[in-house]
Amino acid sequence: MKQFISFVIKEAKHIVRDKRTMLILFGMPIMMMLIFGFAISTDVKNVRTVIVVSQIDHLTQAVVERLSASEYFEIVAVVSVPKEAEQMIRNQKADMAVVFADDFASKHTGMQFIVDGADPNMARQWINYATSVILNHGGGLVNAKMLYNPQMKSAYNFVPAIMGMLLMLICAMMTSISIVREKEKGTMEVLLVSPVRPLMVIIAKAIPYLVLAFFILIVILLMARFVLAVPLQGSLLLILAVSVIYILLALSLGLLISNIAQTQLVALLMSAMVLLMPVVMLSGMMFPVESMPEILQWISALMPPRYYIDAMRKLMIMGVGMGAIMKEMLILLGMTALFLTIALVKFNKRME
Amino acid sequence: MTPAVEVRNISKSYGKINALDDVSFSITPGEVFGLIGPDGAGKTTMFRILCTLLLPSSGTASVEGYDTVRQLTEIRRRVGYMPGKFSLYQDLTVEENLNFFATLFGTTVEDGYESIKAIYSQIERFRHRKAGALSGGMKQKLALSCALVHRPSVLFLDEPTTGVDPVSRKEFWEMLSVLKERGITIVASTPYLDEVRRCDRVAFLHQGKLMGIDTPQKVLSDFADIFNPPAIEHSKQNISNENVIEVSHLVKAFGTFRAVDDISFSVRRGEIFGFLGANGAGKTTAMHMLTGLNQPTSGTGIVAGYDIRTEYEEIKKHIGYMSQKFSLYEDLTVKENIRLFAGIYGMKEQDIRHKTAELLERLQFAAHKDDLVASLPLGWKQKLAFSVSIFHDPDIVFLDEPTGGVDPATRRQFWELIYEAASRGITVFVTTHYMDEAEYCDRISIMVDGKISAIGTPDELKQEFRQPDIDHVFTYLARQATRSSD
Repeated sequence: MKQFISFVIKEAKHIVRDKRTMLILFGMPIMMMLIFGFAISTDVKNVRTVIVVSQIDHLTQAVVERLSASEYFEIVAVVSVPKEAEQMIRNQKADMAVVFADDFASKHTGMQFIVDGADPNMARQWINYATSVILNHGGGLVNAKMLYNPQMKSAYNFVPAIMGMLLMLICAMMTSISIVREKEKGTMEVLLVSPVRPLMVIIAKAIPYLVLAFFILIVILLMARFVLAVPLQGSLLLILAVSVIYILLALSLGLLISNIAQTQLVALLMSAMVLLMPVVMLSGMMFPVESMPEILQWISALMPPRYYIDAMRKLMIMGVGMGAIMKEMLILLGMTALFLTIALVKFNKRME
Repeated sequence: MTPAVEVRNISKSYGKINALDDVSFSITPGEVFGLIGPDGAGKTTMFRILCTLLLPSSGTASVEGYDTVRQLTEIRRRVGYMPGKFSLYQDLTVEENLNFFATLFGTTVEDGYESIKAIYSQIERFRHRKAGALSGGMKQKLALSCALVHRPSVLFLDEPTTGVDPVSRKEFWEMLSVLKERGITIVASTPYLDEVRRCDRVAFLHQGKLMGIDTPQKVLSDFADIFNPPAIEHSKQNISNENVIEVSHLVKAFGTFRAVDDISFSVRRGEIFGFLGANGAGKTTAMHMLTGLNQPTSGTGIVAGYDIRTEYEEIKKHIGYMSQKFSLYEDLTVKENIRLFAGIYGMKEQDIRHKTAELLERLQFAAHKDDLVASLPLGWKQKLAFSVSIFHDPDIVFLDEPTGGVDPATRRQFWELIYEAASRGITVFVTTHYMDEAEYCDRISIMVDGKISAIGTPDELKQEFRQPDIDHVFTYLARQATRSSD
């Protein structure tokens, strides 16, 4: 036990003395939260809109007023032919156009959207917003209500995703690098020749990173709550519990990488390329899983962060109880057990 | 009595390469046993097998009667091991390193203090310094303390003194003899002949085979062609009176610390100039200033006719440089390396082709021109690196410990190349820790504490300080150092 503690202390000293790495480890989550929370926003706001109408009447007037009254749209021009509106969009003077048919007033129908589709996700959102704003008007055919996120804030979506990404990055990358560093420097040889059990070496190495990851988790949660005003609807205990499972999972992946990699560079590339890229692309963080081709959906099902991000969204935003995230929790636990077993069995108590 | 180490028919192969081929020997308790042989002879593999880090391909080995394959826990409790690479935590202090290794072996520094006192007391005053900031000699002492703190009965030392200056090496081996008196069995590998002579018995490995095992005197005389090659003939006719390096009152200070403290000397064209000094005496810093890598704090210097303060870009075009750490790209072939460096110095395509063929012929490398450098033995790499560094016919070539870790015969071949270069009028400026190499130089200087405390031909220095050889001159001067081993 004493050996174990002194090992953990030594590991902690390595981390604390490496000031630059520490700065990145704590700076990165804060930066990412701020960037994703404020700068990168998929919120619909001030969409520059052109109205195409040959003759303004009370009905079209009402629709236009409704659009411009909402904070989502900003009427930049009223033109008479669709061609003109199209030209404006091409010239980057407008984002979308609302075209009324000539007989709109009499038929109460005949409306067309022309949208800048360069960013299809945003285009789809604008159409949704415009439809609901306009439809709300003439007698309220449909009344859309957003549950959990009534203002449709993108931070609600991003915070759980950032948590999934950062915890994976810190745990997997840092653990694998720190183990491989000992291999590179030759200290691993001395550790292996000592009477200490090799498994203890590995577990002791993971502990400080577990603590570190937990700290960073708290920082993210505090920022989410107080800076980005993302609610923490669900039980905090449950959020932390699922996160700890996920951290353990990431640590096991780090151990697995350190078994294979012989140099720090390889460890870094493996964690960044093999772990992080697919995680970002396929876990539903950036692109919705539902709109992926089927084969990618299957691959996505193997991505651990997907389940963590799902569980976090449910817990933080929807505020569900334990029952609703049972599936995600079990999958995460299963994956942790699997990766940890492989990592420990594969761990070499001799050299290759 | 059980032998301390018993090796029976051990073979080990990595793929097609046989690192060890049917090696057997045994070591009696309390013996100082040397494993010697050129780089790639299989010494490190043997250490790793004995330390239970590697499984042999065939054969058995035991340490203190315990089998290295089946009883690894028993062995790991009883041995101390210093791998070839420096194996301490650079970002932990001296004390933290020692404490950590003590706990690792289930003991405390207090319990083990008696056994390491002789060694540790020498570095104890630096106990709050980071291990990474220690000099080579002190690092070795700390590593030895860490390997000894749990009072092992067998100590495995894999080239513990490579890259360490002669004085620190002597101190290190004096400590080992203290340990021997305490009954600890010591198995060490070394490229230095003076260290080989301090062993009780040595085993000579060559390309994985055990060539001979006996007392040092017997082995060294049996294989005299390798360990004690005849001296090389060298004429000094080519040295002109023109000074190609001229340095006066050169100083390099880092804060208040004067790494190079007011040195003045000159080197003539075609001369082989040995630049000696203990670890941390300021050799590397001085060399960096001469090669334009570093600006002097004060003083002047002319190298190949150019001012080191202002014309360092010109200097770089007229010198060659080879260091132990960086020589060639391991993942390029022999030919590609030559092509690359020739290209860097802007040589003409036609010259490159012509000279490459000539060089490969001279080194007898033609058959290996498409081999990756990584696959060559260390001695070959060094010869190739040297040839590449003078490929563009520089005025001066700077060699920073060019021959670390190879056997005397290979070093002698290397020096033949140096003599050949000198006879073509290339000035050679070389640092080394091998004192026999110092004797090969036309003139040498010895740096102590940032100053040049002796300069002259080897014979002049021996007379001046009334010592039998350069090794003694060096030891005599370096022991006067006041700077605390940096």
